[in-house]
Amino acid sequence: MKKLLLICMFVLAILPVLTRSAIAAGGPPADILKGVITEVNAADRTVVFEKGATKERLTLALPAEMKPEEVRLHKKVLVNLDKHASAPNVIKDISIMFMDMTLSKLLALLAIGGIGGLLSGFIGSGGAFVMTPAMMSLGVPGAVAVASNMCHKFPKAMVGAYKRWKYGQADVKLGLVMAATAIIGVQIGITIQKYILKMFGGAGSNLYISAVFMFVLVFVGGYVFLDALKLAKGGGEAKVGKLALRMQKINIPPMIHFKTANVTISAWVTVPVGVLTGMLAATIAVGGFVGVPGMIYVVGVSAVVASATELIIAFVMGAWGSVQWGLSGLIDIRLSLLLLATSLIGVQLGALGTTYVKDYIIKVVMATTMLIVAVSRGVKVPGYLADLELIQPIAPSTIAVLESISFWSLLLALGSAGLIIVVAMIKGMSADRRSKSTVTGVQHG
Amino acid sequence: MEATSHNKNMPAASGPAKSKPYLKTLIFGAISISAYVLLFNNEQLVTDTYTMGGWHWVFPVGTVFFFSFSHGAFASNLLSVLGLEAKKK
Repeated sequence: MKKLLLICMFVLAILPVLTRSAIAAGGPPADILKGVITEVNAADRTVVFEKGATKERLTLALPAEMKPEEVRLHKKVLVNLDKHASAPNVIKDISIMFMDMTLSKLLALLAIGGIGGLLSGFIGSGGAFVMTPAMMSLGVPGAVAVASNMCHKFPKAMVGAYKRWKYGQADVKLGLVMAATAIIGVQIGITIQKYILKMFGGAGSNLYISAVFMFVLVFVGGYVFLDALKLAKGGGEAKVGKLALRMQKINIPPMIHFKTANVTISAWVTVPVGVLTGMLAATIAVGGFVGVPGMIYVVGVSAVVASATELIIAFVMGAWGSVQWGLSGLIDIRLSLLLLATSLIGVQLGALGTTYVKDYIIKVVMATTMLIVAVSRGVKVPGYLADLELIQPIAPSTIAVLESISFWSLLLALGSAGLIIVVAMIKGMSADRRSKSTVTGVQHG
Repeated sequence: MEATSHNKNMPAASGPAKSKPYLKTLIFGAISISAYVLLFNNEQLVTDTYTMGGWHWVFPVGTVFFFSFSHGAFASNLLSVLGLEAKKK
């Protein structure tokens, strides 16, 4: 108990220092202006922009391709300035901060929230990879989509973690150790990204993110998939892997015992797993895709405990991320709450679903999601290569087709994972009912 | 401990069904839906206030905490009413 308190105090002490810009997927962008456009001067192609917080008035120039009549007045907007323009204060793009809510958009948010919640409750992470692009396709600016998703993710993870802790699956100590080290990893990840952006520009950075994304998702996802396949053939009883057994034999203090996970392991093993999770969270925004397999194959935790513990990590990191985005004032609470309306049901359904399925089903869902998501990023690579002039330029129509394949494969990943979970749950529940009725029959007979 | 809870749960499977939390579902459902209606009816005021930045971060974070308790409790009771409960070991 004393150790747990010490860990909690360590986490609380380290968080404010390290999370100034530490959030999964990077910090809020500093070069975006938030405010209202109050006047448009069509003759000299300028607008008067009033900054939201300070009410400071700026005169900004419109870019050549933007028509003055397209600018919407007195609506809260995000203005992105063109850093590469010859003159200062030239607008790159303007996006309306709060999209107009229509019935179809509302239903889309509810549907994505529900399935994302189910996935999150079941495998510990998931949903973020599809929610942010889905919101952007509904007309939400990128920064607002990331912020609103983050603000919906942490209460969802909190409810899911609580449920799975009640089922005896979540290891709070492991979750806190992983979260604290993951935050250090986020800092390293952000530093690497900034360096790459400085050295190779936007396209280079995109290519780096895609390469990491593809490598991790194909390699780790493929490994999890093969393992799940082996388990399915062998009756589904998971054993601790060889690598994890070797890691558990490393006896370098401090040794930490994780009660729920039933593992005693050196901090020198858990810390790198946590740091890598954070680095990946900062790079590809889905740290859980390395955190959960890391806990399973390196630390030696069962898939059920690893996925439940991931929810604790998601809660800690998501909560601090939300505070950061909240400080920048970029959270559209309507989006967060609409996602929550169904995801709070989905996450609890997913959590209770884990009590009916064998351990390997969690691995099947995780691997399927990872491999399909890898496709979504893979199809974008040719575009980035062309931007870097490493291959011949690609026609805009081809780029559009690839973009649409990318988006629909994300939805396919979410849909297929949801389907596997529902089918496995129904099977598990009916098997449980049958066994109960057999017991009842024997007792009455 | 586990054996005790197992034995405790056994008669429930064969005996009369446990009463479902209809009242709790209704109460938490009413709180949750009222909060949603209140918030969306004042959409303009809410979105403006919540995005002022600085200390105003307490509004979105506090609101999602409130919803995670009220709507989370509603969702939990709703699943129980629908007969969807975790497997008893």
